[in-house]
Amino acid sequence: MTQRHAITLNALSLYAVALVLAAAFAAQFSLHELPCPLCLLQRILFATLAIGPILNIRFGPRSSHYAISLLSAVAGAVASTRQVLLHILPGDAGYGSALLGYHYYSWALIGFVAAIVLLAAILLFDRQFADDGAALPTDGGAFAQVAVWLVIALTVANVTTTLLECGFGACADNPVVYELLKHAS
Amino acid sequence: MEFTLLFLATAVVMLAAWRGPRPLALGLFAAVLIACVATYLHHATDALKLSF
Repeated sequence: MTQRHAITLNALSLYAVALVLAAAFAAQFSLHELPCPLCLLQRILFATLAIGPILNIRFGPRSSHYAISLLSAVAGAVASTRQVLLHILPGDAGYGSALLGYHYYSWALIGFVAAIVLLAAILLFDRQFADDGAALPTDGGAFAQVAVWLVIALTVANVTTTLLECGFGACADNPVVYELLKHAS
Repeated sequence: MEFTLLFLATAVVMLAAWRGPRPLALGLFAAVLIACVATYLHHATDALKLSF
């Protein structure tokens, strides 16, 4: 795998992160289900998964950049595993709606484990870390730049919605209204 | 409030990774990850009714 291929794969991984963040928004707005504190933490850790690929696109592929994403994925897997275990006992209806039979935290665990496996797989390709002399596009090219700004925009959007949901105090364990909007409605 | 700040900090790290110096991005990432772990430990206080 050349540096150019690796950068394309990193851009694709940013689109995957953007898809996860957008899907979380879609569920939040279409089903009117507000994310719990542990759900928000999992979203944050999905967003931090994007930092490694951004560094790879800007500075070229390095194992340390993949390590950043691996650390985020392991932390996310721990958080989502805890939420799965909180609702694993028979008779527990779980938190929120299910999508294709699994709750969002179960999908999050699958996503974080898939990220760990894919990151380990891409680390197998040593040639991406050697300078092959190919002229690489500045900042990864348009495909990568759109991916970077998309994921940044979705993270900034989460700043706004989380502020609306939690307000300036502690977030509710089981939020049902947007704290900053409940006086306006 | 802590989650809003964590999202904001993550966005700042992304911008630093895209436009700033690499050591700054790495340092900010470490700070955000530590803050995430601390937030997790602060919230993960309910005992799990499980035995392994």
